[in-house]
Amino acid sequence: MSPLLKVENGSFAYRGGPQILDNINFEVNAGEILAVLGPNGAGKTTLLRCMMDMLRWDSGRSLLDGEDIHSMPARKLWSRMAYVPQAKSAASSYTAFQTVLLGRSSRIGTFSSPSAEDMEKAEAVMRQLGILDLADKQCYAVSGGELQMVLIARAMASEPEILVLDEPESNLDFRNQLVVLDTISILAADGVACVFNTHYPAHALQRAHRSLILNKGGGCISGSTPEIVTEDNIRRAFGVNAVIGEIETAESVLKNVMPLSIAETRQGGPEPGAPSEAAGLTGHEAANADAAGRNDEGCIASVSIIMKDNATADKVNSLLHEYNHLLIGRMGLPHRGRGLYIINITLDGAGSEIGALSHRLSLIPGISVKTTYAGE
Amino acid sequence: MRRDGKLPVIWIIILIVLPFIAALIALGIGRMSISPGEVLDVLRTRIAGGHVSSQLIEKTVMQLRLPRIVLAALVGAGLSVSGCAFQSLFANPLATPDTLGVASGASFGAALGILLGFDLVGVQIIGLAMGGLAVTLTWLAGSGKDRGGLSYIVLSGIMIGSLFSALVSLIKYVADEESQLPAITYWLMGGLDKASFRTLSLGAPVIIAGILIFFLIRWRMNLLPLSDDEAKASGTNIKALRTVTVIAATAITASCVSMCGQVGWVGLLIPHMCRMKFGSNHLALIPSSVSLGAVFMIAVDTLARSISAAEIPVSIFTATIGAPFFIMLMRRSGGWRI
Repeated sequence: MSPLLKVENGSFAYRGGPQILDNINFEVNAGEILAVLGPNGAGKTTLLRCMMDMLRWDSGRSLLDGEDIHSMPARKLWSRMAYVPQAKSAASSYTAFQTVLLGRSSRIGTFSSPSAEDMEKAEAVMRQLGILDLADKQCYAVSGGELQMVLIARAMASEPEILVLDEPESNLDFRNQLVVLDTISILAADGVACVFNTHYPAHALQRAHRSLILNKGGGCISGSTPEIVTEDNIRRAFGVNAVIGEIETAESVLKNVMPLSIAETRQGGPEPGAPSEAAGLTGHEAANADAAGRNDEGCIASVSIIMKDNATADKVNSLLHEYNHLLIGRMGLPHRGRGLYIINITLDGAGSEIGALSHRLSLIPGISVKTTYAGE
Repeated sequence: MRRDGKLPVIWIIILIVLPFIAALIALGIGRMSISPGEVLDVLRTRIAGGHVSSQLIEKTVMQLRLPRIVLAALVGAGLSVSGCAFQSLFANPLATPDTLGVASGASFGAALGILLGFDLVGVQIIGLAMGGLAVTLTWLAGSGKDRGGLSYIVLSGIMIGSLFSALVSLIKYVADEESQLPAITYWLMGGLDKASFRTLSLGAPVIIAGILIFFLIRWRMNLLPLSDDEAKASGTNIKALRTVTVIAATAITASCVSMCGQVGWVGLLIPHMCRMKFGSNHLALIPSSVSLGAVFMIAVDTLARSISAAEIPVSIFTATIGAPFFIMLMRRSGGWRI
């Protein structure tokens, strides 16, 4: 099965400028979140614009279900993909509801107005995102966080399979960052593929299945988040010494990135002709930074999972099925009286695989999950 | 205001009926006062057949006042709808139908026509042609690969506009002081006194077609003020939408200017009044601009031709009535946005 969205060998330079993007490769599947990281000016927004064919790749291509996006009719493309710009660029004098309704454009005829069905869809999206009370407010009169949610609703109104967000949580306060990130997590859990730019490696660690780090020289590495967002790669791409730590709460263990100091030098772009990995960013070598120090040969771990509804339990079960070869013990008990589902599993396998599974479990919204490793 | 952005039914009725009431009243006003009953009588006999009570009344209503009122309605509706389109296109509340140099080009054409001694229709045709030429030049100067998009076009519109204004001055300079210069000056001030069914037959179809286009794409026009990326991401061919908007608005403006000179303010005043009252959604904005533009122009022109024995150029009225009214509205409603 080909991935939902795939970029192959994408390269781009603005006319007369240096190479911004050089041989970019990545893919996203339905229900996955991809975080795009990189220092200021590395070309994160350019990457998204090229990916969506708003800028033309100099070479390489973007494929949607195996079909080159560039040759797709705009209406078809934009009823499957939707774009959320940075909120600052989009204050308008329409009401929030009319703005959301504009998201239906790709599904409304050129000479037509929105039908009753379009109105219902727009209303349903606003209700789903919890912003129906904003419907009749003017967009210039709502707060930054609210406007961001309105723009997400506008994008979702076209019922897309892929949602592309340009720095959705920048310029927002703590609470609104969470509102936006939770929304992305929930949409992904519903099967939408989400691609977002972010300045925060921690948001990638906490939310994204896959990550991509752009280098100043145009190269990138991409892959599953725990393999990509590592202390080494952060130092090399951002020029910052950072530690990745874990914060344990009653419900779960959250990863966080704490920047410590400016690294001596920021390693620049790749050597001419060298593959992008040679730029210093490492992929698989740094795998399992999550289980740092833990033996990759094999280790034993126990994972306890508590969730609140049946649908989440189904998701967990299908994920566990995928990692069946690691399972050596499993106990599940629904606690019907409290409406809870509890699963305990014991795993034996490579530390990197166990790390990947527990990361993917932690990305499911509305779940409490902790992994305990056996001592050496 | 309704959530879907459409006009409430009561307003739809008002906006349809109002221009006809204004026209009916205006038909009776003038140096010869005719009661609404007599006006209706004339119109009824014209449609249903029969005998009119007075030939003089019939001639005044049908041949003098009716074409002029039709022209006023078309020009008012046309200028306000194209002003509205330009404001949305450039996401700039100060854009007017002349932003791309259309009106200056058309004025130059008309002045040239008068200088060369063309008749009214000839003046109209050359005005239309020069208006088109001005926009084409603006488009050529301002667009191109890798350019900054709309702001370049606005800038080159200002350049081309001032170029044609200079050419108008040149024509005034070389024109005969006794006969041509007053004619050109008077013509430039704008007036609907040249109205006849003959001039209308050339300009009206263009204006009506342009208004019809805007009416058809009125919901999609909501995408015009969005940024390039957002507009593209709506799945709409934004280039085509912008091109259609420019062509339709330009054709309307050039036709208006070629028929009655430069009538300022309408394209700024009416759309903003409608934005304040009905919001920025073009579903309501386009129909209300058409209707209220027509009403405003009929009222102002009736004033211009009846307030004194000599006719006063209409743009003097649009500005003197428009500006204070606009300021009052702006202060009361707390402004507007695109």
